[in-house]
Amino acid sequence: MSEREYKLIFTGSMGAGKTTAIAAVSEIAPVRTEVRNTDLAGHAKATTTTGLDYGEVTLPSGQVLRLFGTPGQTRFQFMWDILGRGALGVVVLVDNSRPDPLADLRDYVQAFSGVIGGSRAVVGVGRCDTHPWPTLDDYDGALRDIGINVPVISTDVREREQVITLLDILFYQIEAAGDVAGQALHGVSSP
Amino acid sequence: MNARERSLSRSEEAIIRHHMEALMAREQEISGVLVSTIDGFRVAACLTGTLSAEKLSAMASSLLAINEAVCQESSVGECRDLVIEASQGRILLMDIPHPAQKLILTVLCRAKVTMGQVLWAARGCRESLGKMFVAS
Repeated sequence: MSEREYKLIFTGSMGAGKTTAIAAVSEIAPVRTEVRNTDLAGHAKATTTTGLDYGEVTLPSGQVLRLFGTPGQTRFQFMWDILGRGALGVVVLVDNSRPDPLADLRDYVQAFSGVIGGSRAVVGVGRCDTHPWPTLDDYDGALRDIGINVPVISTDVREREQVITLLDILFYQIEAAGDVAGQALHGVSSP
Repeated sequence: MNARERSLSRSEEAIIRHHMEALMAREQEISGVLVSTIDGFRVAACLTGTLSAEKLSAMASSLLAINEAVCQESSVGECRDLVIEASQGRILLMDIPHPAQKLILTVLCRAKVTMGQVLWAARGCRESLGKMFVAS
């Protein structure tokens, strides 16, 4: 990976919108590895990602963001470890309609704690319009309890601008963590 | 995994098990055979030692999905088999056609295996299973 390329991770439970988020912002045809979902009791989705998602966004300054999406299910945890190597930060997507979204949050934040390092992440909570609980404050509290200080926002990853907002916030976090790349990355939302 | 509903019938699983055993009996250098769903759940396994059929099933799913994406990206047509060469053995992965859901056949081989022979046998197993599923 060259100095002008940056690796970011999208993770979260199955159905949280990782594939959708990357497709919403990628300038290239995203790489998808979706297969038929046979665990309909676990989730009603017809397909599920079992390898990875991949997309790219080029900043006005020329830097390329390489976006990697993970499979959601814990049986693919080995892919989380592989994809997390060399990543600068993490977008954690949570589906508020799931039975225990706060537990989902803790699981993914802890799984990527090596990349996050306490603050290099942003949490995007989906389906808050139909499922308002837990609240964003509840998420803040859950993160504080495990010693993580990252922003939590409500999001709809089908909307490109909302995914860009997540990336923009993540860059602030990377910058605030003292990473030189953060400065270079800042400003992704400028057309 | 335990709460997951069975996606294949018991008779289909019995057919698969029979074919796996026949494959292992035919090729002495095959050390293990695994059949799993395309999304990474174990269906049937003949593995030795401490190998986890659950973990290998998930890995087989990721490998074949990425294989498919690489084939598509490279415009080399439909993905067929995936062969992994390692210092102490070889691993062969291929999909098994099924009218409702594709399955994955994973064959673990010892280092001195004649790969062409195993490929031939595994493809025969795959084809025979595919025909059975269509007929059942």
